[in-house]
Amino acid sequence: MATLHNSYACEGFRVVHPLNDTPEQKCATDGIGPIAITPGVRISLIVLRGYLVLMTAMLGWRVLELAGLLHGSK
Amino acid sequence: MTNPIQSGTAIAERAIQPGLVVRRRWQQHLLTFLMVFGPGLIVMEADNDAGAVSTYVQAGGQYGLHLLWILLLLLPITYFVQEMVARLGIATGKGHAAMIYERFGKWWGHFSLFDLLLVNFLTLITEFAAISLALSEMGVSPWIAVPISAAGLIALVVTGSYLRWERTVIVLCLLDVVWFALAFVVHPRWSAVAHNSFFPNLPAGPITGDLIFLIIAIVGTTIAPWQLFFQQSCVAEKRLRFSDLKWARLDTLIGATFTVLVAAAMMIVGNCGFRHAIPFQDPAQVAQALVPIAGHFVRNGILLLMVNAAVLGTTAISLASAWAYGEVRGWPHSLHKKMWEAPGFYSIYIACVALAAAIVLVPHMPLQLVIVSVQVFAGIILPSAIVFLQLLLNDRALLGERWVNRPWNNWINWTIIVVLFALSLLLAAQVALPRLFS
Repeated sequence: MATLHNSYACEGFRVVHPLNDTPEQKCATDGIGPIAITPGVRISLIVLRGYLVLMTAMLGWRVLELAGLLHGSK
Repeated sequence: MTNPIQSGTAIAERAIQPGLVVRRRWQQHLLTFLMVFGPGLIVMEADNDAGAVSTYVQAGGQYGLHLLWILLLLLPITYFVQEMVARLGIATGKGHAAMIYERFGKWWGHFSLFDLLLVNFLTLITEFAAISLALSEMGVSPWIAVPISAAGLIALVVTGSYLRWERTVIVLCLLDVVWFALAFVVHPRWSAVAHNSFFPNLPAGPITGDLIFLIIAIVGTTIAPWQLFFQQSCVAEKRLRFSDLKWARLDTLIGATFTVLVAAAMMIVGNCGFRHAIPFQDPAQVAQALVPIAGHFVRNGILLLMVNAAVLGTTAISLASAWAYGEVRGWPHSLHKKMWEAPGFYSIYIACVALAAAIVLVPHMPLQLVIVSVQVFAGIILPSAIVFLQLLLNDRALLGERWVNRPWNNWINWTIIVVLFALSLLLAAQVALPRLFS
């Protein structure tokens, strides 16, 4: 929180580069366990997994087709 | 910040404290902004990589100015998504891959990492292919251009200084202002530019599969999955503080605006080929074909900016991969460290660059197909990546009330996710039923 340091008002404002500043206490995951999600979200994530696999396969097929590597393609 | 032992005089304190003292409030704000400035601009402008140059020039070359409005729509979307990433990075001080791994468990952590590394690596191939293509057009053999580019890109990061890397890359980003000069030189009809920017319309004729494919590619190239990982890691690497959030937001907004304007300039340059009925093959071919119409400045400008775009994309994407891999494996992963202090991190970066460069030297690479396909792939996995971002930004146990999304954030982001999924489903429909849009 030391972006500016105004300890001497008559002198102005101190500006510190983030890399040279005192480290802050960040939001940490220690001890809070995995993210809390509802059963609905959990099911949605499973569906998402299947969706990604399916779409990736379809794109691969399309690319092979455009590349002329599939039988009967242009 | 104040050392109690030596705080007796202002002179002594000034001598030991880091930073600069300025007299005016506005000077303090300006200086703080300049110190924070970087990740937002870099993540946005690096996204105008070689594939983006190709896609935008193709959009202009095949459909004129009709797709300009999409860029304007994408501006707030890119900003909102990347603002969340910057906020998460500042709040946690950790990268995106680390957050997914820690909050969603090993399976999703590894799955996200695999997706990221795959799409990133394929994208890197397109970057080097573009370097090879552009410099070949200028008479430089790929066997010279590609290895030298790879060596330069490796040298850029192995110096053990984040700031040196950042300043170099910012200069490269700002070189893209030359696109504006190219757009002026090709003399577009500015009234048509304005009309097509603000009034959504589609090219005359049927909505073809190729048009849909290109629109998804534009979305995929304007907002790419690696950007989420890159900016959050970059913010963590730069150790931005809570108080820097407003400046990080401004950085991101400036980056998004600049990037969209540059993308529009690319489309305008492509439109010059469209007006003169030059069939689009790739940007280098368009550059060459434009010589009789627009002169050598435009040709050389397009080719050199293609190289610049590829260099920017390569360094940012390779770093996104290296940071993400280091975060998930728990390795030291920082540009502040020397090579021997973070060997795994630097090895991933070097391996990504060197392997992609080597693959490009394999003859007969179908560049345009690879570029568009990679962008569509990115368009497919992007919505799911944003779903995780959205869930993380609603993680009250981690972030508390201060950093979580507000309800309006959530409305906007779920809308973005729905739109992106709709585009993905369009792609699926086009792939499953190729005659649907013909």
